[in-house]
Amino acid sequence: MNTKTLLTTAVAATVLMGPALAMAEYRIGITQNNVGVDSYQTTYERAFIEAADANSDVRAVVLDAGGDVARQIAQVDDLIQQNVDAIIIWPTNGEAVIPAVRRAQNAGIPVVVTNSNIAEQGFDFIRSFSGPDNVTQGRRSAEIMCDKFKDMGIEDEAQVVHITGQPGYTTAIERAGGFEERLPEVCPNVEVVDTQPGDWNREKAQQVMEAFLTQYDDIDGVYSGDDNMGVGALNAARAADRDGIIFVGATNFAVGYDAMAAGEYWGSIYQSPVDDARAALQTAIDVLDGEDVPFLNYFDTPKITQDNMDQFTKPVF
Amino acid sequence: MISEFIKRNLSTSAIWLFIIFELLFFSIAGHYLSFSDGAFMDLNNMLLLLNQSAPIGIIAVGMTLIMVNGNIDLSVGAVFAIAGIVMLDSMTWPVFAGLGDWVIVVSWTLALLAGALLGALNGLIVWKTGVDAFIVTLGSMLGYRGLVFMFNGENPTSHLNWTLIDFAEAQFLGFNTATWFLAASVLVIWLVTRYTVHGRNAYAIGNNRNAAVNAGIRVGPHMVINFVIIGFLAALSSVVFYSGSGSVNPNDGQLYELWVITAVVLGGTKLAGGSGSVIGTLGGVIAIQLLRKGLGYIGADTSTVNLVIGLILIVVLFIDRQLNVKGAQELRV
Repeated sequence: MNTKTLLTTAVAATVLMGPALAMAEYRIGITQNNVGVDSYQTTYERAFIEAADANSDVRAVVLDAGGDVARQIAQVDDLIQQNVDAIIIWPTNGEAVIPAVRRAQNAGIPVVVTNSNIAEQGFDFIRSFSGPDNVTQGRRSAEIMCDKFKDMGIEDEAQVVHITGQPGYTTAIERAGGFEERLPEVCPNVEVVDTQPGDWNREKAQQVMEAFLTQYDDIDGVYSGDDNMGVGALNAARAADRDGIIFVGATNFAVGYDAMAAGEYWGSIYQSPVDDARAALQTAIDVLDGEDVPFLNYFDTPKITQDNMDQFTKPVF
Repeated sequence: MISEFIKRNLSTSAIWLFIIFELLFFSIAGHYLSFSDGAFMDLNNMLLLLNQSAPIGIIAVGMTLIMVNGNIDLSVGAVFAIAGIVMLDSMTWPVFAGLGDWVIVVSWTLALLAGALLGALNGLIVWKTGVDAFIVTLGSMLGYRGLVFMFNGENPTSHLNWTLIDFAEAQFLGFNTATWFLAASVLVIWLVTRYTVHGRNAYAIGNNRNAAVNAGIRVGPHMVINFVIIGFLAALSSVVFYSGSGSVNPNDGQLYELWVITAVVLGGTKLAGGSGSVIGTLGGVIAIQLLRKGLGYIGADTSTVNLVIGLILIVVLFIDRQLNVKGAQELRV
């Protein structure tokens, strides 16, 4: 029944509009996670709409699930029904959307996942994932920290503590893995003395750091899975009057950026929602153009430190 | 008698007139604004609409009964999440490992039982303490949601079973599984309200609780039964939905109570109780889903959708009030 409708619509479109017009543009639908909830997602949506408007070959249907899985599934079904050329999805739940994504694939509509990936059982039904490479982010954080230790001349004795994100979250696992793998490669004598989860939470990270500070007299560096936790750790160190600790994070937040400007926080990884949005749209267009798109299509998330932060605008989140 | 008949039909048919208006509006507006090649009133699109109406719709059917009673249940969204967790998690219990796909039947039963039990708990507290249902279910809404978060923290509870998903995506006589469950719920509760003593009592209690007590209706147990029904239906909505998605976020079902109440009120049920119909509620559910779908179809964003639904709710209630005031005045003359 579905294929019949598809065929009829396709034939009708071709007959009515003429092949030239029908081919002139891609209709791309996007369903986002929860636009109003934080400024990363708000900026992402604005950037996506701007990028789509700027491209005369693209007409975008921009939808927001408002964090509601049921609504996101309904939106995917609506987009299939509207017979768009491609669907971009920012999953509200990496597993719950898999059946809906399968329906899109069965209807012949390529699906691109953006920002955070769906679970592995769904990989067969999507064309590409466009988002940050968290392993590389972890590796780069290790390099930032090692380079700073070398500048300070303490690369042979430095001790580091590590505050990870929420246990079980892919992002947390990948970043921690990248950091722990890269640090001994660049600074073999730096020791990671302890690792504890901060659950992406600033207060939790502060408590973890307070415990570290009482436990270890010599801490030269702190790596946190994101700047939110990094600033929590910084607060703990400030309260304990422990100076000279090098803080490195990931996903540069506005608070991290400010702390860097104040000279208290050393570096992070710059992840721009604008780049994220543009990469997602470009990935969908490349898929539709028939180009060979890598399954994991990462956008670049550069290093940001006190030295080069003037090249980056302050994050909005 | 005749005036009563007109009044009743005016308040329930208003929502269907509104639905026709929506259909015309989105068909015409979509012609100019939509990026889609397909027409809005395409048969497949309408079938999809019914399918998408099911999660809110099945709960709204139960809410109609509760609100006709003069009560309200704010905990349905949390019950929805709990039932989903019970279903998906019990499928992985080692006890049922030998059952193969028959575990689906067991898990469905467990989830439906959990919903009915949580509903019974609400009803018993309302009955035995005499505290207003609004307060009781406000408390259980928070409490049940707490249970959801205690179960698996912030993490989703997931289990993908392709047999179950194929069942949820199946079609019978052109209608999807979820649509059939919605239709069955509407039919059963409609029959209950029209042709059973329990159903007639629901209206009597909502109209005048003291008079109902004096007439010998056992109001307490009656209300418990209705809370069991809505708990069961919230769980039914949940198992139907999660059969097709396979993963529960701990915040799933949040605000469902408000969407459900909106649908019921749009469908002509009085907040004060004593009046309302399941058919009207079905209209309310379809009207909301049509708005969401239609506004998405013509390219409006989600915040606009919420704004428009809020405005329409107030307008519909205002018109309803005007019609009823007019009717009452005409009666007096």
